[in-house]
Amino acid sequence: MITILLDSSNRYLSVGIAKGEKLIDQTSYEAWQRQSEMMIPELDKLLKKHHFTKDDIGDVIVAIGPGSYTGVRIALTIAKVIVLALNVPLYGVSSLHAMKLQNKPTIALINARSNRSYIGVFENEKVILKDQIMKNEDVLEYIKKHPEYEITGETEYLEIPAKQVNVLEEMLFLKSFLKPCENSLAIKPVYLKD
Amino acid sequence: MKLVILTKSKEETMKLGEKLAQGLFLKAVITLSGDLGAGKTTLVAGVAKGLKIEEIVTSPTFNILKCYFHKPLSLFHIDAYRLDGVNKDIGLEEFIDGDGVTMIEWPNYIEEMIPLDFLEVIIRNLGNDKRELTFISHGVKHDQLLSFLGENKI
Repeated sequence: MITILLDSSNRYLSVGIAKGEKLIDQTSYEAWQRQSEMMIPELDKLLKKHHFTKDDIGDVIVAIGPGSYTGVRIALTIAKVIVLALNVPLYGVSSLHAMKLQNKPTIALINARSNRSYIGVFENEKVILKDQIMKNEDVLEYIKKHPEYEITGETEYLEIPAKQVNVLEEMLFLKSFLKPCENSLAIKPVYLKD
Repeated sequence: MKLVILTKSKEETMKLGEKLAQGLFLKAVITLSGDLGAGKTTLVAGVAKGLKIEEIVTSPTFNILKCYFHKPLSLFHIDAYRLDGVNKDIGLEEFIDGDGVTMIEWPNYIEEMIPLDFLEVIIRNLGNDKRELTFISHGVKHDQLLSFLGENKI
């Protein structure tokens, strides 16, 4: 059985397939505001490339936000459709937690616009600062106070450098610390602005 | 800054939109006010043409947002009319502060999402196909846009 991994909570579209704890293959590229058109075709391509069918899908892991309003809903909606149709478990992962680096405390950042950021701080599976929305000036202050923390995310809007991270690898890592959703269809996207 | 332009036909209003498009830039925001049939969508159609967008522009009243993805500038056309009194948190700010130009009909319903730097357009129907278009710029970037339009109008 294989695991499907989906993330469209930010500018990127990421689709992956994993077997056990190993990510077999993934497609990831910038598709801002176009993820809804691309996600299913990309998943289809990936499955065909590795000669898998829908019957090989054992579970689904999806990034549930925070992030882009539409983006967080695209991956989650597609994930729900798959788990409903195949009757398989769904795992929901924080989009920020999925941006952590391995074995390093990480500040994960997403542009929430209007001079605000989504921020979460993590060390592996541990949460140091839980996902929240924060004014950019406070974010910069927090970063200054914690020079030992690494930074990930598309941080050009803050004019600070950030490390690259393979989000799907981290989602797969986090799965082992999570329980599948009890009611997959009831899981809601995390937007934090509501 | 303020500029008033009279157009005598739908075609002239379109042409004015095309001219306006030549001065547009990333994250430009234009609000459109005027009664039903004033020509708001016509001006948007002119801007779309000026941006070399080939799709047909129709009113987004039902959809709230229509996206015309294009390079170098995409056009986002919002009609906020149906957002009166309902949850406005549907991610519109990601388009307004996004990868293109946004034109907003009924901006009073999403006032809190309009940036400080924007161009206000008020269209008045003077009968038949005659229209009076009042452009008021707010902020430096849209002042420049309006100067450009003033120098390049029909």
